[in-house]
This record gives sequence, structure tokens and C-alpha cells, in this order.
Amino acid sequence: MNWTATAVALLQVLVATLVAPLVIGITRQTRARLEGRVGAGILQPWRDLRKLLRKETLQANGVSWISSIGPIVVMASSLLVAALLPLISTVALPFVPDDLFVVVSVLLIGTVAVALIGLDVGSAFGGMGSSRHMMIAALVEPTVLVAVYALSIPAGSSLLSSIVATRLDAPAVILSPVSLLAVVALFVAVLAETGRLPVDNPSTHLELTMVHEAMILESSGRDLAWLELGSWLRLSALLGLVANLMIPWGLATDATVLALVVGTIALLLKLTVFAAALGAGEVFLAKLRLFRVPELLAGSFVLAFLAVTASYLVT
Amino acid sequence: MSTRTRPDHRSIAFGDWTMNPVEAALTAELLLAALACAVAAVAPASMRRYLAGIATIAMAASGIVAGGLALSGHSGRLSAPTALPTVNLTLAPDRLGGLFIVIASAVTLLAALYAIGYVHGAADSRSAWLAFILFTFGLQMVPAAGDIITFLLAWELMALGSGVLVLTDHRTRPQARSAALWYAVMTQLSFLLILAGFAALASVAGATTFDALVTVSPTSTTGALAFTLLILGFATKAGLVPLHIWLPRAHPEAPSHASAVMSAAMVKMGVYGTLLVVLRFMPGGPAWWGIVLLSLGGISAVYGILQASVTSDVKRLLAYSTTENIGLIFLAIGASVLLASYQLTAASQAALLAALLLAISHAAFKCSLFLGAGAIVAATGERNLDRLGGLGVRMPWTAAAFGVAALGAAALPVTSGFVAEWTLFQSFIHGATRDAISVAVALPVAVAVVALTAGLALVTFVKLYGIGFLARPRSQGADDAHEVSHPMRWAALIGSGAVIALGVFPGPVAQVLASAVGIGDVATIGLGGLSLPSLGVLLDPMALAITALVCALPVVVVSALSARRHPRRATELPWGCGGARVSPRMQYTATSYAEPLMRVFDDTLRPEQDVVVTHATESRYLVAQVRYRQKLSDVIEVRGYRPLLEFVDRLGVVSRRLQNGSVHRYLTFSFVALIVVLIVVSL
Amino acid sequence: MSDNLYAQLISLTAGTLLLTAALIVWRRSLRASVRLLAIQGIALAGLVAVLGWHERTIELVLVSLLVLGLKAVLLPLVLSRNVLNHDDDREVPRLNPTASLIFAALLTMLAYIVCRPWMGDTDDPTSRAVPIGIALVLIGFLLLITRRRAASQLIGFLVLDNGIATVAFLTATGVPLIVELGASLDVLLVVLILQVLTGRMQVKFGGTDLDDLTELKD
Repeated sequence: MNWTATAVALLQVLVATLVAPLVIGITRQTRARLEGRVGAGILQPWRDLRKLLRKETLQANGVSWISSIGPIVVMASSLLVAALLPLISTVALPFVPDDLFVVVSVLLIGTVAVALIGLDVGSAFGGMGSSRHMMIAALVEPTVLVAVYALSIPAGSSLLSSIVATRLDAPAVILSPVSLLAVVALFVAVLAETGRLPVDNPSTHLELTMVHEAMILESSGRDLAWLELGSWLRLSALLGLVANLMIPWGLATDATVLALVVGTIALLLKLTVFAAALGAGEVFLAKLRLFRVPELLAGSFVLAFLAVTASYLVT
Repeated sequence: MSTRTRPDHRSIAFGDWTMNPVEAALTAELLLAALACAVAAVAPASMRRYLAGIATIAMAASGIVAGGLALSGHSGRLSAPTALPTVNLTLAPDRLGGLFIVIASAVTLLAALYAIGYVHGAADSRSAWLAFILFTFGLQMVPAAGDIITFLLAWELMALGSGVLVLTDHRTRPQARSAALWYAVMTQLSFLLILAGFAALASVAGATTFDALVTVSPTSTTGALAFTLLILGFATKAGLVPLHIWLPRAHPEAPSHASAVMSAAMVKMGVYGTLLVVLRFMPGGPAWWGIVLLSLGGISAVYGILQASVTSDVKRLLAYSTTENIGLIFLAIGASVLLASYQLTAASQAALLAALLLAISHAAFKCSLFLGAGAIVAATGERNLDRLGGLGVRMPWTAAAFGVAALGAAALPVTSGFVAEWTLFQSFIHGATRDAISVAVALPVAVAVVALTAGLALVTFVKLYGIGFLARPRSQGADDAHEVSHPMRWAALIGSGAVIALGVFPGPVAQVLASAVGIGDVATIGLGGLSLPSLGVLLDPMALAITALVCALPVVVVSALSARRHPRRATELPWGCGGARVSPRMQYTATSYAEPLMRVFDDTLRPEQDVVVTHATESRYLVAQVRYRQKLSDVIEVRGYRPLLEFVDRLGVVSRRLQNGSVHRYLTFSFVALIVVLIVVSL
Repeated sequence: MSDNLYAQLISLTAGTLLLTAALIVWRRSLRASVRLLAIQGIALAGLVAVLGWHERTIELVLVSLLVLGLKAVLLPLVLSRNVLNHDDDREVPRLNPTASLIFAALLTMLAYIVCRPWMGDTDDPTSRAVPIGIALVLIGFLLLITRRRAASQLIGFLVLDNGIATVAFLTATGVPLIVELGASLDVLLVVLILQVLTGRMQVKFGGTDLDDLTELKD
């Protein structure tokens, strides 16, 4: 049991890492095609990574160890999230629960590491990005916790694997208003947490608006590679979670080879669909003004809160 | 002091006295406190801090022993007769008291160790040392007290000692005087409320020992009255909104070792008092008690952290964060009382455990943070974050201690704060019920409040660490900073070590805490992980850390391989918008870091902002200078306290007419008063 | 229709009603609000149709068609003509959207609490959706209180009316066709009159900010 769970977690980490750049590639390619451009192909993020890992790493004078260790921490936190979330299988690691609070805290380690990297260089942009990034992270947290609180009530547990397993057993739950509201709220929170439109535009470096890009402006070489891959991985893992909450079918409930193969294929399909949908959706969205973002987050919080209200007060 | 012995097989014989271990340790502590006072009073000025510091450490160590013994279930009772025939002063710590004695003594020990390297000038004077010793001694005696009189005496000793410490720097910092005045008024208010609450309890119970007070029913009118008065009194001491007003003034003014004790241990006495009320005196309180505590705690948590997130003064920020943490503890206690009143025992016990975990976790990280803040002030002469920066490379040890403590305060894994909040969250999830409407409403709101608080705490501590220790120094003082002396360093590092230890091995700690409040259902799993079998949840931070390291391993290997071919190259600024680095003033400051939050919570914080634009003389269209000023004051102080004080002031002016200096008039007052009393008595 | 599907459909339509109300509170753009109102009308019609289908009453199905025509098509059309008439589409609410949203959440919770004694332990899907109707009424009031522009006041009024209709359909199950017809006509009339009035105000004063109307009391 112990070893199979470990093997499943390793498989999830491996698959998620391999797929994360492709998810970004699909998103960008969809967007490019819809905007009438040829696009760079879905393998471009992989090529970018290879290039970055081969390049020399520059570092500003007078920075602390945060700038060297930070990218590795970001990457490790994303990998840990991929290991914990029920992406391919609901078999959870013993002693390391995929408890929601634990997952959120592990994500926040990555968030904090990026924010500190932004501050460490001591440039005006880094501080700006870091400040905005932390504000968004702070305001997202109530939504995430309340949304999963709502989802955990039918399952009677805050373990994500048992929440997903419950939905697999009783698919009627998925379309109930409680779950719809909670999943929509969670999805908005995921968009904000991973810096996608309409909260942050990942494809521009416009001074006035950038958030994530501002923090990693001064990073280069392998540091930048880890930061990029870390954030892609985080997006893929969270998209995978939302996908499994909405469409739990295909997820492996035990650790047989066949179930895991089916689970992997299902995950790839779901991620492809979601990545393409994300890219297509972004064509129609403009970035929100920074100070309208709290309104968006308040909106998603209200959805989550309504979900809890409904789940408590309606049988 | 005479000692009354009780039959106990673990007793130690001292001549014709027999004492059990707790009594022996308490006696030792009393003697050591007296010794420490004597040393502080007579030691020569050059040796004072070493001698008095070591004596205080010895006193605190005996306190840890006494508290530890009481916590592990030994009982003991020291009592001394007073001039009044039926009133004895009693020290009789129970398990819960033992826990708080350990917290108070451990914090005192670190603070005293720190003080050896830290104090100079006014803080090294005879009176400051005496005040510190009396303050910490009183602090350790509060949870040891076994009756009302002893409790109140120790409480006053604690208040007086800390009041003097707030005044330490009054010669150089005029703000210290007003802070001490606020502190004295609020602390006396707290004392009066507690006195009245105890009086209400004692009037029904007919005795002053704690064991006798249990007879009061929580649902009776007296019970409700006593609860209200005592909770208000303890909330004032604990610094809960809206009674927190002294806290952000007094903590920054006291010398840092004293503010560490005040913040990490003294405000905890408010928590101890509240636990006394709801667990020992009147267990099984009604649901509205829980709701009162929950709301007090929730409001304090959000308000405290919101103020902390936009404050730039390091020590003021930490003081506001104390309000937040104590708020969370009250919220957990409130949830526990509320859930217990609907027989949701398992969830209620988890919430209580969370409250205790939060309490010790806060003691550890806040102690370390205040000691670190003291080190910053000592090394740079600055306490405004806007003028700090770059201390990470200049003060690596302090930076490490401070960083770990900040992680604890932000409740990230694997620190003590994380375990505590996890336990609280589990209690909320498993307390979910549809049968009780107040629980159904309170829990989701509490989840949202805790989540928002956690999020804002994250911003606050990233700002504190990132602006203070990273980037480039923003002032000459920060540029010239050097690492502080060994005792200071070690005190902060030990505190941070405790944050990590509690975070990695929560299981055994939680078991001890659970035994202090009579919860059975807590187990240790794996390598020191925490498991709550009745809720069916577990957390093994060690396993989490190992998994994280396994995940990090390939990343590190790839980095190392890549580093072999291309080592890092230092350059002035890799990109910098294509420009060179200009002055460090171009960096984001703490104020600018908090600006987005300030805008978002504009309606709550109400900052005063002025922008003054001076035009050039040649043309209106040319701007010569723009001056921006932002002032942030505590909304509750401005909107709540100022009008109240003005009203009292006006009342004072009116009542002055009663006093015209005429002896006849004063005699008339006395005469009338006498007659009224006689008439009332005769009725 | 199976009971399970029936319950699902009721929750879905009621959920949509609530969701659109929350989104109306959120959006500042009048155009978007009108569109949401139309969706809300469709959801309401759907709710009535589901009820009618479940109880096999042709009258309710007819009512649902009426509701669809009026609330999902006619009223939004009338409103959007007003909005389209001038360029300024922005509402500047008296309470910022974040605070209003949190208020809306609290109001919904209040609605659920208030309804608990009536709902009891019943498993009947219709009575479980009643609180949503009450919540709609409360949110409509919130909109009326916090909005400045006359057009968004109308939107608030219509949300309130939808709430009343929801409660009526769910509790009485079967408002007589004639009553519903009368009520609908009333609403239509009110909207048309207000529409004309706001048009006049627009022409006369160049704006329909209700705060400016306090000057007109003499």
C-alpha cells in the first residue's frame, strides 16, 4: 500500500511535469489560431525550457541566498502539489494527507518564494509585482478555503481525494447548485492564483499591469527555467484538480496498472480540453484593472459562500 | 512562608518539612525571585546585566520545572496566611496553570538571556531590572495562583512591572509617557473588571479559592454577569478589539526584551483567564458565550492583521499582529464553547486543542520576532521599515531566526503556526451540522475570517521580511548594520528553533496540551505527527517535509549539473529595464508594498492622504515639487476613544464647579453624604 | 419525470435565479445587467415549466410561456432600448460592489435562516427552493437602495418582482392563470410608465441620477 501510493504519486509528478509545458503550449496555440496567427506550436514551451537550462545564469550584485534557492523552492512546491492532488488516482499517500489546507499551504510556499525573489533584487518592478501578487494571494485565500469547505460537506472530509471519490460514486452531486457554485468559485480562484486573464496577463510585459512577470524580470538561465516551469506546473495541477472535480470519470480508484493507464489518458484528455478552453476563453477577455480584481475575488467569494449556505441549510 | 503538606507519596523531606516536587519548585522560584531582586539592587552597574540576567534565568528555569511538574499532573499547594483571618494566599497550579507557567517562564528565560547582550542605558538601570524581574515573576505567579486574592495580587504585580518598563525610555522618547498612561488606564480598567467579575462569583460561592468557585451555574444570572465582566477584563489584557488600544502603543515603547515578554506571554494571561472561566469555573457554558468569544476573536483577528499589514513601524506591526493572533485564539475558544454547547464533542475538543496550539506557537514566534526586532533597532537605530533593507547579508543569524519566526507567523508548513491553523480548520470542517442554526452560520463565517486573516498575515510577514532583510539598504543606518552579540542571537534562534520543533513534531506536544485540558483523543503517528482519531484526520509534517525534499532532489541535481557548466555570474543588474541601477530609493518601500491593500480596504482603514503640488514660478504647467503625505491612525481610536475622552473632559470641566476651594462647601458635601448613607441604611 | 430529475431541475433553475441576482449586484454595466435579467427571466420560466410538467397542469405551462415572453424578452427589450439610447452605460453605485456582494451573501443566508421553520425536515424540492425566492426579494431591495440610476432601479424592482413570483409559484404551486396575467400586466405597465418618465427626465435634466432628484421635492 505504502509503496504503491508512493509509485502513484511519482507517476503523477512525472506526468504533470511532462505535460505542464504542453498545457501552456496548447493554451498559447489555441489563442494564436483564434487570433489569426500561426502560433509557435505546442512544443515551444519545452524548447524555451531547454534553451533556458543551457544558458548562463546572471545574478545581481548584493542579492541574498533567496535569489538562488527561491526558484528551487518554487519548483519543489509545485511538484509537491502535483504529488498530493488527486490527478490520476484517488490513492493518497499515507501520512501525507491531500488535505485541502495542506495543499493550499504548500502552494503558498511557492507564492511566498516568488514574492521574495521579486523583492530581493531591489528594483522598482520586482517590488511592484511582489506587492500586487501578495495582495491577490491574500484575497484569494478566503475563496479557496470556503469553496472547498462547501465541497467537503457532502463528502464529510476535507481530503481532496475523498471529495473526488465521492463525486465519482454519486455523479448527481456534480450538478447540484452547491457543487456548481463551489467549482465556479474555485475556478476563478485558480485563475487568480495562477496569474491568468482576467487577473494577470501572462503574455505581456506592460509596466502598469504586469504582476507575475514583474517579479521574475531579473531572473535568467536556470532560475528563470524553474520559475516558469514551476508556475506552469501549478497551473496544470490546479486545472487538473478542477477538471477532476467537474468530470471525475476515468480517475483511477485503485493502483492497478490498467486503471493508472486509463487515469493517465483521461488526465491528458481533460487537460487538453481545459487548456484549449482556457486559451479560447482568454481571447474574449481583457485584463481587469488591478483595483477591480478585488471585486472579482469578492464575487467568487460570494459564490463560494452561497455554496456553503446552500449546502448547510438545504438538505 | 509556612508550608502545609498534603499526603503525597512523591514527597521530598527537608528536615521536618515534607514537600512534594511542585511545592519544592515553587519555593525555589520564590527564593530565586527574591535573590534576583537582591542581585539587581546591589550589583555594581558594570556587572549588573550579567548577574541580574543570570539570576532571572535561574528564576525562569525553576518556573519551567514547577510548571512542567504541574503540567504532568503533580499537584502541590503553598499557602501563606495574611492579616485577615480567613484569607490565605495560595499557590496551587493545576495542569492548565502549569502549561501557562511553562509558557511564561520559557519566554522569560529567552528574554533574560537576550537582555544580557541587549540592555544598555536606561534599560540597564537598577529600576528597569527590578521592574523586569517583578514583572516576569508576577507573570509566572498568575497561572500558579489558587485563589482570587493571589491571582489579583500577581496580576497587579505583572501590570505594575510592565508599566514601569514601558516608561524606561521616557527621557529620550516622549511618546513613551503617553503610551504608559494609556497602558496604565487600560490595565487598571481590566483589573477593575476582573475584580468585579470575581466578586460576583465569590458572592455566590461564598469563598475565594478557585475550587470553591465551581459551584456557580453558568446559566444563572450571576454566571452571565461574571462571564461578561471577566471576559471584558481578560479581553482588555489580551488586547482584543476594541480594547486593544494600549497594545500598539505600549509594546513598541518598552525595551525589546520586555516587549517580547509582554507580547508573547503577558497577553496570554488574558487567554489563561478566559480558559479558567470557560473550563474550570463554569464549564458547559451556553451557546451565546461561544458566539461572543467567536465574534470578539474574529473581529480582532481581521482588524489586527489589517492594521499590521499597512503599518511600517516594525514593533507596532508586531503589536498589531499580536492582536490578530490572540483574536484567533479567542475565536478557537469560542468555537469550542459553541460546539460543546451542541454536544459536538470531538470538534469542540479539536477547537480547544487548536487554541492551545495557537497559544504556544504564538509564544514561540512572537518572542523570536520581538527579539529580532530589538536586534534590528539596536543594529540600525531605525524601526521604520521604510528605512531598512539589506539586513539579510549584514545580519545573517538574526535574519535566519527572524525569517523562520515570520514563516511561523504566516502559518506556512512546517512551522507551529501551520499545525495550529490546520487543527482549527479540521474542527470547523467536522463541526458542520444542520441541526444548530448558530453553528451552521458561525462556522463558514469563521472559515472565511480565518482564511482572510491567514492571507493578510502572509502579506504582512512577506513585507516585514522582504523589505527589512532583502533588497538594498534604504538608509545609512541599515547600510552600517552589523550582526548583534551572541546572547541576543541565540535567544532569537532558540525561539525560532521552537517554532520549527513544534511544527515538525506536533504529536507529542499536542498530547501534552490535550492532557492539560482533559482531552483524551489525541495520538502521535509516524515521526511525531499529529492524529485526531475521533475526527479521523492526521497530519505528519515530517513526512510532508521528506516528500518535499524528495520532490526537490531532481531539481537540485539538474541545477547542480547546469551550474557545473555555467556557474552563476554576478552583474550589476541583469536587466533593470535596460538601465543601470540608480539609488536604493527607487525600490519599493513598506508603505508602497502595502498600498494596494490600503486601497482595497480604504473604507475600513481610512488613511489621511494629502498631495501638495508646487508649480514652478515660470509656468503653471511645470511642476517644481510634489509632496505626498499619508497618515494612518487607528480608526477605533479616532472614532471611538477620542469622542469618549472629549466627553469625559467636558464632564470634568463641568464638575469643576463643585470645587471652589471653600472648606465649608466640602464639609457640606461630607455632611450630606453622611445623612444619605444613614437614611439608606435605616431603610 | 423521475423525482430525482425533477429535484435536479428545480435546484438548477433556482440556482440560476440566485446566481443571476448575485451577478447583477456585481456588474456595473447596465447592458450586462439587462442581459442577466433576461437570463433570470428564462430561469424563472423554466422553473414554472418544470413545476407545470411535474404536476401535469397545462395552465402552469401556459403561465411559463407568458413569463418567458414578458420577463425574458419584452421587459429586457424595453429596458435595453432605454440603455442603448445614451452612451453612458456605467452605474456608479452608492456602495462599492465588493461590499454589496458580501451583503448579498449575508442576505441569502438570512433568507435561509428565516425559512428554516417553514421548511422543517421536508424533502420536497420545491419548498427547499423557497429561500432563494426570499433571497431574490432581499437582493432586489438591496439594488433599489444602493443604485443611483433610474434604469438600474428598475432592474432592482424587477429582481424583487421575480423573487415574489418565485415564492408564489413554489408555495402556492399554481397561481391561477388570471392572477398571474394580471400581475404581469401590472409589472409591464409600471415598467412602461417608469420608462417614459425616465426618458422625460433624461431629456429635461440630462441625467437620471436619483440623488439629484431630491431637489425636486418642492
